[in-house]
This record gives sequence, C-alpha cells and structure tokens, in this order.
Amino acid sequence: MKLLAVLTIVTPHVNYVAILPELILIGGALLLLVSGQLVFAKIPTAFYSIGSGAIAAAALVASLVIWHDVQARGPFTTIADSVAVDGFAIVFLVLVSCILILASAIANDFLVREGIDGPEYHVLALLAGSGAMLMAAANDLILIFVALEIMSIPLYILAGMDSRRRESGEAAIKYFVLGAFSSAIFVYGIALVYGATGSTNLPQIASYLNTNIITSNGVLLAGLGLLLVGFGFKVSAVPFHMWTPDVYQGAPTPATGFMTALAKAGGFAALLRVFFSTFGVLRTDWQPLLWAIAIVTLLLGAILGLVQRDVKRMLAYSSINHAGFILVGLAAATSQGISGSVYYVFVYAILVLGSFAVITLVGGKGDENHDLDAYRGLGRRQPVLAFAFALLLLGQTGIPLTTGFLAKLYVITAAVRAHSYALAVIAMLSAAIAAAFYLRLVFLMYGVKLPVGSGGDEGALSLPVTGEPDDGLDPTGSVPTGVNIGRVVVPVPTAVAIFVTVAVTVVFGIWPGPLVDFVHAAHFLF
Amino acid sequence: MSVSATWYLTLAAVLFTIGAVGLLVRRNVLVMFMCVELMLNAANLTFVTFARRLNDIAGQTAVFFVLVVAAAEVVVGLGIIVSIYRRRPGATADDLHGLKG
Amino acid sequence: MGSLDSYLPIFFMVVLGIAFASLSFGASKLLAPQRPTSAKEAPYECGIVPTHEPARRFPVRFYLVAMIFVVVDIEVIFLFPWAVDSQSLGRFGLVEILVFAASVFVPFIYLVANGALDWGPIKRVRPVESQPDRTSSSTVRHVGPPNDQAA
Repeated sequence: MKLLAVLTIVTPHVNYVAILPELILIGGALLLLVSGQLVFAKIPTAFYSIGSGAIAAAALVASLVIWHDVQARGPFTTIADSVAVDGFAIVFLVLVSCILILASAIANDFLVREGIDGPEYHVLALLAGSGAMLMAAANDLILIFVALEIMSIPLYILAGMDSRRRESGEAAIKYFVLGAFSSAIFVYGIALVYGATGSTNLPQIASYLNTNIITSNGVLLAGLGLLLVGFGFKVSAVPFHMWTPDVYQGAPTPATGFMTALAKAGGFAALLRVFFSTFGVLRTDWQPLLWAIAIVTLLLGAILGLVQRDVKRMLAYSSINHAGFILVGLAAATSQGISGSVYYVFVYAILVLGSFAVITLVGGKGDENHDLDAYRGLGRRQPVLAFAFALLLLGQTGIPLTTGFLAKLYVITAAVRAHSYALAVIAMLSAAIAAAFYLRLVFLMYGVKLPVGSGGDEGALSLPVTGEPDDGLDPTGSVPTGVNIGRVVVPVPTAVAIFVTVAVTVVFGIWPGPLVDFVHAAHFLF
Repeated sequence: MSVSATWYLTLAAVLFTIGAVGLLVRRNVLVMFMCVELMLNAANLTFVTFARRLNDIAGQTAVFFVLVVAAAEVVVGLGIIVSIYRRRPGATADDLHGLKG
Repeated sequence: MGSLDSYLPIFFMVVLGIAFASLSFGASKLLAPQRPTSAKEAPYECGIVPTHEPARRFPVRFYLVAMIFVVVDIEVIFLFPWAVDSQSLGRFGLVEILVFAASVFVPFIYLVANGALDWGPIKRVRPVESQPDRTSSSTVRHVGPPNDQAA
C-alpha cells in the first residue's frame, strides 16, 4: 500500500497512429468474428477471406503511413516507452501485413475445399498477426511476452483447426504443450532479468548494463539464457525444435505455411531486438551460445531433411535449417549481420508461404496427399504449377538470381566479416546438404533419373529412399505409395498468391535494390 | 521474524524446476498443464519478490499480465484436449503417436 | 569464444535443480513403505465407502462453460487497478477501460450467438432422417438366450 501511495499517476501519452496496424488487425478480427451475427445471415467463406485480406491491406497501408512518418521525423517511442516505432519494427509490420494478405488468399481455397466454414480461421490468423507485429514493435519484455502469447495461442488453435483429421488435433496438443512450456521458461527469464537489472523496459535495461560493469552475474546470465530458450522454441532452433516436424505435418497445410512465416517473423524480430540492441553489451556472453546453437541448427535441419518422405516434414527440417542461417546473422553480432538476418526472414517468409500454397493444392481433398510420390511427374501434368514450385524450392536452396541466394550471401558475408570462419563454412556446407533434398523434389517433378539411391523411373511404383526403412508415416494416414493423382485444380486466389511469391523471389533476386534498401533501413531506435 | 528475499527466490526456483521436470516426465496431459501453471506461478513469485526488493511496482503489474495470459493459455489447451478426447477416452501423451519419423 | 565458463553457476544451478527433483522422487520411492491395500487404493470420499463408480465422462458442455468462466473471470483482474484509482486516471482511464470492455464483450456476443451458453436439451440442427433399415427388430434388444437373437 505504501508503494501505491507515493506514486502520482501519470497517464501515458498514447500515439494511436503508431499502433494503428495492430489496432486495425484486432478491431477487424473482432468485427469479422461477429459479422455473421450482425447481419443475421450465413456468410459465405469467401466473404471472410476477402474481409481478412482487406483488413490486412488496411494494416499494410497504416504501416506505410508510419514508415513515412518515421522517415520524416525519425524513430520514436510511445505508450510510456513500451512500444518502439523505428525502421526495424516497420519492416516487420509490412512483412506481417503481406503474410496475412497472401495467407488469406491461400486459406480461402483450402477452407472451401475442406468445408470448414465460419470466420474462425481468419479471425485467429489476424489476431496472431497482430501479436507478431507487437513482438516486432515491443520495447518492453513484458509486452514482448504478451505479444508472444497473442501470436502463439491462435497458432495453437490453427494447428488443430482441421478437426476431422486426427493428426491435426495431435499437432495442436503437441504444439500447445511445448509452446506453453517455452512461454513459462520465457517468463521466468524475464523475471530474472528484471531482478538483475531492475527494469523490464529494454532501453532502461540497456542503460543499466552500460553504466554498471557486470562480470558474471549469475541471475542476469540465467535470465538471458532462459530468454534464449524461450525464443529458440518459437523459431525452432535446435535443441528446442522437437515439436517442429510433428506440428508441421499434422497442422492443416495452409496453417503450416502461415505459422512458419509468422512465427519466424515475430520470433526473430523480438530475438534480434532483445539480444542485439538491448543485451549488446553482453555479447561476449551470448555469442558463444548462439554460435553453438546456430551450428547444430544448421546441420541437424539439413541432415534430417534428407531422410524425410513427407513433403511437409521435409520442409519442417528445411525451416530448422533456415532458422540456423538467420541465427548466423545474429551470431555475427554486427549491424551488417542483423540486416542480413532481417532480409533472410523477409525472403524466407515469402518463399515458405508460396511453397506451402503449392503443397496445399497437391495435398488434395482431405489434405493427405503429401508423400513425395504425389510430386512424381508433376512437371508433365501441370507444368506451370510445377515450374512455380521448382522456383520456390530453388529459392530456398539459394540458387543465384533468387532472393534466397542473396539472403544466404548476406548472412555468410557477415559471419566472415566477424571472423567466425567456422560458422561460415558450416553454413555453406549445410546449404549444400539441404540442396540435395530440394533438388530431389525438383528432379522428381520433372521425372529426371535420380542420382542417389532414390532412383527409379516413372513406371516404378515405389520410391525407395536409401538407408531409411521407416517411411515416417502412419500407415492409416498415408496415401498408398505410387498413387498417381490426377490434375489438381488451381483456384484463382491461390494462383495469384503463388504468382506473387514467385515474382518476389525472382524479381528481387535479379533486381535486388529496392528490397535490400528497404531492409537496410531497419535500424534500431537506440 | 522476517524471511529474507533469497528464500522466496529459492522457493520459486524449486517450484519452477519441479514444474519443468514434471512436465517432462508426466504423461497425463492435464498434469502437464498443471506443471505449466506451476512454472508460471514460480515466475510470478520471482516477480513479486524482486518488486518488493527493488521497491518498484512494475514487477507486481507484470504478475497481472502473466496471470491473464496463463488463464487464456490453459483455456485454449483445455479446449484442444476436449476437442481431441471427445472421441477417445483417457488423456495420456503416449496416445499421441501418429506423427513421427 | 571461450567465455562459456561464466555460465558455470547456471550449470551448477541446473544440476542442483535436477538433483533436488530426482532426489525427492527417488526418496519417496525408496524410503516410503510400499504396502498398498485395497483400502488405501480406494478413492477417498469423505470417509464413506464409495458405493458406485462415478460417471466416467461428463458432457462437453460442462467443460465449455467452465472454460468460458475462467477466461471472463480472469479478465476482471484488469478492472481492479482502474476501479481503485478511477478518479485520478480520469478520462484516459475511462476510455481505455471502455475499449477493453468492448473487446471482451464482442467475443461474448460470439459465444452467445453460437450457443455456447445454451443450457437444456440441445437444439436439433437437422431434422432426423428416417432410416429404412432401422426397425424395432434392429434397435430393440431382445431378452433371451443368445441363439434366439441370431435367428
């Protein structure tokens, strides 16, 4: 009580324009939720998708308005310093808006195909998007935690959205239990950091660390380590990646793509800000940890990706590998490394959305057709779709003239400049290993005879994978091997979304200027 | 007689560890939820103790947010469990083995 | 990259934590006498010997209402600080709390509209389709020796 009495309450100044994108998403989501009740009629799924896309587009416009504002006036903070409005935050606001627009187009066709009606999918997606935006803009550890939960909780539900598939519920519960575990670890980390520095506000922590020379403060380092564990779960860095393959495989495919893009964007935004900007002084403490995590993440993702037969599982390990690359940029702990990481997140989010859009289509009704065999000869059956998918896979491989190549180039260059040559070499090695499974899929689509083990011509019904007797699939849930699926129907909204992702990948791969300049403006406030 | 802050922090650390170990070794999903709650409340205890020691109210307000988030989280978790086990009796994590590889 | 030794105290802390937890579990396994009797194993019910098994499964509706209660109940926590100091928080506090109340109210409309709070018998959404193969001989169980049923 004494504590309260001495405080005179100063109401914070709230710059509502600065948090307009988040407000639009949350308000729009609530409106969408009750829109069916407001008009007293059953609303077709397409309306919800269009509404969701429009809300996300409005958030994009609001983000660009703030961008203009920041360009003119410089970065600033609002709501009692708990929200930072700087170039770094705005790059992620724009990215999340784009993810939401693309995801609503991709999800629409899936929801119609599977007969999941109602606004819930889009409402949850919008709420998760607002959480990811807040994570990027948060300037206070407590706000980061709340934003992390606003992002994660809808994602848990999205993973279990397809209630008729048993795997979907299983994915949801696994994601939930491990997610809640990581959140608890994260909160405990915040509590310890608060105890050690006396604040949860990031600039105040930074100024405390700058004025007090700290040598091996156990509480602070423990807090820092727990924060890293919490973030590591969200961005699926090894050894906190256990949930990733199961959840990716079990979740409805468009939700998987959305989840990957969003969780990587939000998770890395907060991770980069907290570690580089706030705890930058302690970099000699956290750099070795990140260095070790980056190496195991890179290698494990690439190697285990080789033995997967389920395409969604394969991309799960691929996403672990990509998380490793993004960590390489952070482990360099230079501003060049950070902009490399931001560029990588941006590029990867777009690539992975497009890839999962194609997988959604090939998956067919019931969302089950995810064996590698479903892609056999896709190049002949549907040349355009296969070509788009091939470009997206090549982008993830890091072939020159795609954005994926530039992303890998930037983070590896940053690592070399920071003299961590071992990390750079391992990153390149893992890229070469990962290329094997991307290219295997590309060759499979075009019916090229496969070089290693997994060969067999078009007529062969099964595709043996060397050294992998367990095909990793539940016998009840798998498609009989060798089923030759017919032409898949490509609905217009998904086609447009895939076209956009491919266009971004190729155009900004050949003409990198605008995107690189945009990302390079991602400066921290302090 | 006053109890020093260190004891509260130690208690919180012990509770947190019990929660973490419990979550990893127990197979019943509901018990796993309880372990998560235990971990979150250990964090709350830490927050309150530090707020008291630092004479700063921010730590106490943090507890509000953690509490609300914990409630929201556990409700979503229960919702997921209910939707899964409507068709199946029992609630152990070992039943969830469809996804592997 | 050699400053990992500053993590040594944390490492010891983790080891201590694990040791403590495993020691507690192990000690109760080893030291406590393991003499289970049927009386000990029985569920405790105010000292009265239970006469019948409790119902194994409750209707989902119970869980649903309980979960909605937990969420709405905990939201009230944000009203307390405002209620204590609503005077000095002034117009700012009022606006913020109204926005908060609105964003809690909108999902409530959704819940009511979707029948999450409807008690009593479940409304029939679809009319029951008459199935020609369902006759009284297929649904009513006949009493008697099993070979009668087969006939």
